[in-house]
Order: sequence, then structure tokens, then C-alpha cells
Amino acid sequence: MGATFIVTLREAFEASLLLGIVYTYLDRIGARDHCRYVTWGGLLGLLASVAMGIAVSLLSGPLVDLGPDLVGAAVIFLAVGLLSWHSWWMRQHARAMTGEVQRRIDAARAKQRLWLVGLIAFTGVFREGAETVLFLWGLMAEATAGVGWSGVAAGVAGIGAATALGWLVFRGGRWLSLPHFFGATTVLILLLAAGLLSTGVGKLQGLGVVPMGTAMWDTSWLLSDRSGIGTFLSGLVGYRARPSGAEVAAYAIYVLAMGTLLFRPRPRAAGAR
Amino acid sequence: MTASVRAGIGALVLGASLLTGFRAGAQEVPEVALQIEQNRFQPEEVHVKADRPFVLVITNKDKGPEEFESKDLRIEKIVPAGKTLRLRMPALKAGSYGFVGEYHEKTAKGRIIAE
Repeated sequence: MGATFIVTLREAFEASLLLGIVYTYLDRIGARDHCRYVTWGGLLGLLASVAMGIAVSLLSGPLVDLGPDLVGAAVIFLAVGLLSWHSWWMRQHARAMTGEVQRRIDAARAKQRLWLVGLIAFTGVFREGAETVLFLWGLMAEATAGVGWSGVAAGVAGIGAATALGWLVFRGGRWLSLPHFFGATTVLILLLAAGLLSTGVGKLQGLGVVPMGTAMWDTSWLLSDRSGIGTFLSGLVGYRARPSGAEVAAYAIYVLAMGTLLFRPRPRAAGAR
Repeated sequence: MTASVRAGIGALVLGASLLTGFRAGAQEVPEVALQIEQNRFQPEEVHVKADRPFVLVITNKDKGPEEFESKDLRIEKIVPAGKTLRLRMPALKAGSYGFVGEYHEKTAKGRIIAE
């Protein structure tokens, strides 16, 4: 029962976090009309998840043996790319978005490419979507076979809890002042993307593309990444109890490079434009 | 088969897998069977040779899907009900690598021992 709750919470947390951030972001910059792209992206991600779930259940053969892994890895790296783009874009336009009259035109022009946030929603939902769909499907099958519906209830509750967390981000983000909000989301997305990147590198190691190596350290005695808090931190900042060297390197390089790019002081000339 | 021939084949397979970017090629790779029944793995301890790739053939005999997951090996793989999946595994260093069935984590536990 508790384990079931944790599984769906774990699978849905990252998606709900991303949706929460993106919705709040659009809300804060006064582009609420663009929220439909996020909704569409999320819905398409859900549809793709169901399709993927059906495909791996019905089909078999080498394509299904390897296909989902390749799709999974591609989705992760696409998500990292999109999040990086979004942070960079946010930095470029944060000034224009604060509502000063003379910058409204800048803002309007900037909004033209905002539909890309829909893709972020898509990758966020699709990433763990098929697994969640199949998990719930399995619970339903067990329930109808007489095991009882408590498992299904716990699974749905897990998704509900994840949604609530995303909604909290949305509410919290509305209360922050705009500069604080931009600062907080930039850091959050930076760590989220770094975590995703190291997950992607880990996937490549699982596929044998990148050599595995041994774990750099083992903190599973302190905080297992299968526990509730570990799950939360793994979705939020990419926590791993036993990371490989390549994963640590990918994480560190991304945070350093992207952090420098995003937080280096702006030259005065650009601000006075 | 002498040790040097084995090492040679291992190196070739490893090289090929790195070049093609996939798990090691299908020939010469031993298969290891793993079954899922009543939300448990059978056997719960899988023994393989260290430093040699292998194929893990997972059969799910249950009525519901299971997710074969190993944090140690960075593998998450759904095994639908009644299906058999062939997972090409990279060469593992000697050691113990835990795995679980994520959908039934309480009962479905096991480990791969490379020696």
C-alpha cells in the first residue's frame, strides 16, 4: 500500500514539478494565453505514454527490447536541451518581462517562441508516463482478480500527491516577487536539468554505450534514493546514493558551465540598451 | 576455450559494442534466464562471469506487468505480463548488483553476482 503510493509519487513528481514551474512562469510574465500549449503538451505526453504502454505490452522482438530505452534516453536529452534553452531565454528576457512600458514590444516579440514550453510539458509527462500507465494497469488487473482496490487507491493517491506538489509550486511561485521568482526558478531548473543529464548519462551506461565504472561514493546508508525523501531529492536536484564517475562529472560540468552562463554579471551596456 | 581466447573475444565484443553504441553483439554472448512468478524473481541470485557481457532473458509469468529495475546498473525495463524480454547487459566488474521489481518491491528482489 505505502510502497504503491511511493511508486506513483516518484513517477509523477518530476512531471508535476515541471508543469507547476512552466504554468507559474507563463502566469508571472503575463502570457497566460500560452498556458494552452502546456496543457496540450501535457495531454499529448499522456497520450504518447498510453500508446507506448500498449506498444510494449502487445509487440515483442528486438525493437521492443531496445526501442523504449533509446526513446527514453532521447527524451531525457531533449528535456535537458529544452530546459537549458528555457533558462537562457529567461535570462535574455527577464528584464523585458518585468512590465516596464518601453519593453512591452520586446516582450511581445519574445513571446512568439513561447510555444516551445509545450514541448517541456510533453517531455516531462512522457518521460515516466508509460511506466506509470502500465503500473496502474497492473494494479487494476490485480484488483479485478480479487486482490482488492486498495492498491489502485494508493496508486491514484500517489499521483494526486504529486499533482498537489506541482500545484504548491504554482501557488508559491505566485507569491514571490518577480526577481525572486526568476532567480528561484533559474536555480531550480539548473539543478533539475543537471539531474536529468546525469540520469541520461546513467542510461547510456546501462545501455553499455558509456563504460560503467564503479560508484564514486555510497550514501545509501544515510539516504536511500528509494525512500520518500530520497525520491523527492532525486526528482528535484538529481540526488543519487551511488553515483558513477561519469554521472558526477556530467552533473558538475553542467552546473558549472550553465551556472556561469546564467549568473555571470551582465555587461552594463546591454542593460542600458 | 583458453583464457586468452576468451579475453580476446571479450575485448572484441566490448570494442564492437562501443563502436556501434549498443549493448554487446548477439553472438558468443551467454544467456542467463530470470523468471518472474508470483511477484518474485526466480532465481533471486543470478551468477554471471565478471568482465563478460551477457544476455539476461527475463520472463514474466504473472498476469500483471513488472518493471525490472536496477539502480546499480541504471536499468529500468518494463516486462509486460506473459512476455519474455532479452536484455543485453554490458560486461560487469566483479561484485554484487541489486535489482528489484519496482511494481512489487516488497517481494520482488534479487541480485546479479559477477565473479
